[in-house]
Amino acid sequence: MRSNDYSWTLLIACLLLLAAPAIAHHSFTAEFDSDAPVLLKGKVTKVEWINPHAWIHLDVVQEDKTVVSWMVEGGTPNTLLRAGINKNTVKIGTEIVVHGYQAKDKACKPACKANGRDISLPDGRKLFMGSSGTGAPRDGADPRERKRSK
Amino acid sequence: MHRPGSATIAIALVLGFVLALPAWAEQWQSPQMSWGVPDLQGTWTNATITGLVRFDEIEDLVLTPEAASQLEEGTADFFESIDEVPEGELAAGENVGGYNTFWMDPGRRLARVRGEIRSSLIVEPEDGKLPYSWRGYYRIAKRLWGLRSFDNPETRLLGERCILGFGSTGGPPMLPVLYNNHYQIVQSPGFVMILVEMNHDARIIRIEGERLPGVIRPWLGDSIGHWEGETLVVETTQFNPGQNFRASLRHFIYLSSDAMVTERFTRLSEREILYEFSVDDPTTYNQVWRAEIPMLAADGQIYEYACHEGNYSLTGMLSAERDEE
Repeated sequence: MRSNDYSWTLLIACLLLLAAPAIAHHSFTAEFDSDAPVLLKGKVTKVEWINPHAWIHLDVVQEDKTVVSWMVEGGTPNTLLRAGINKNTVKIGTEIVVHGYQAKDKACKPACKANGRDISLPDGRKLFMGSSGTGAPRDGADPRERKRSK
Repeated sequence: MHRPGSATIAIALVLGFVLALPAWAEQWQSPQMSWGVPDLQGTWTNATITGLVRFDEIEDLVLTPEAASQLEEGTADFFESIDEVPEGELAAGENVGGYNTFWMDPGRRLARVRGEIRSSLIVEPEDGKLPYSWRGYYRIAKRLWGLRSFDNPETRLLGERCILGFGSTGGPPMLPVLYNNHYQIVQSPGFVMILVEMNHDARIIRIEGERLPGVIRPWLGDSIGHWEGETLVVETTQFNPGQNFRASLRHFIYLSSDAMVTERFTRLSEREILYEFSVDDPTTYNQVWRAEIPMLAADGQIYEYACHEGNYSLTGMLSAERDEE
């Protein structure tokens, strides 16, 4: 190591990881509108536990009491299956909070689409509690597991 | 001349056996298939936070335990920070990001090879970098430029189209990516099959087989294998031109269709296969480059990744472009 300071290395790692979803299964930048952030609160109506990415559907009640259906993109279910989480873990009717960006295609057919930049329960806990920060099964190898436990 | 008695010989034999025990125990013997070749079967994972290419700030291939711990902790901290979003709505004009990190599974540990903690998967050249020639850089740049097009599905990456996994996860060479880093190996006389979780691709390796006619360019190339002692050696070429560019989180690699990838699989223990490979592609790289990746036994099974079933994203990207037009 040229230096004891790993800050540059970590900075580069962080930048690469930030870009990760864009070069993972597909380009989120191409699909979602960075000028259209959304904060959605509503009850889960359906979970599409499919590949390559899962979609969680929810109904959002607007201020005028009308209901708008949204579908929010997650990642591959395979990772969560390894953590013992399946589609039945998310009960229909569960209230969730989604931070994300709306799709550039705003036709909203069959539902308005957004990415699930962060999906949590109303009290702030992540939707899939029990997983570690990386979402992978705990095997004792993660030095941060104990800290992240909830 | 004094001759040792039978009791002395017996004691010497017992002592010799006891003293030899540790060395014997260390020399682990790979299980064998019934037809006399090493048994590589099982479900394995190559997930690691060690990237293919070494960061500029790190000079050495081998990290000290302290440096490794710092990197592993820093990466874990960063993953945790991704999910920290502000109260209220996200800011407009920012990177849209992706989804919660609980969906990701890139591993948490740096690669350990023969007891060494590695800063890059590449071991040759010594600087841990891909030795691109200018022609190689041009090829990468041209492909990246082509990715600006959303005119039709054919302009998009194979991963986006669910044809092959992104980032060379199916290889060869088989590289770790953001998730689904699982592989299942099944052997039969004359064949080795590697099922790649991303995108449920199956590599069929013909042992001592003949090459396909040159005009045939299958996805994942044409793989012929042979055994060198305890090691399975696989040579692959005749890549489909559509598979030349392979992009992922930490690497952009380009392999011309006539590149030769040589892989070596050696079972080191009950729970580890050492996966080594070299890439010989003189029209893209200035030299042959080599890498080493531990493949560790995975607890649990490999899952289907039926990518085509729910690929809303490709239509989402194309419709977004139509909307902007």
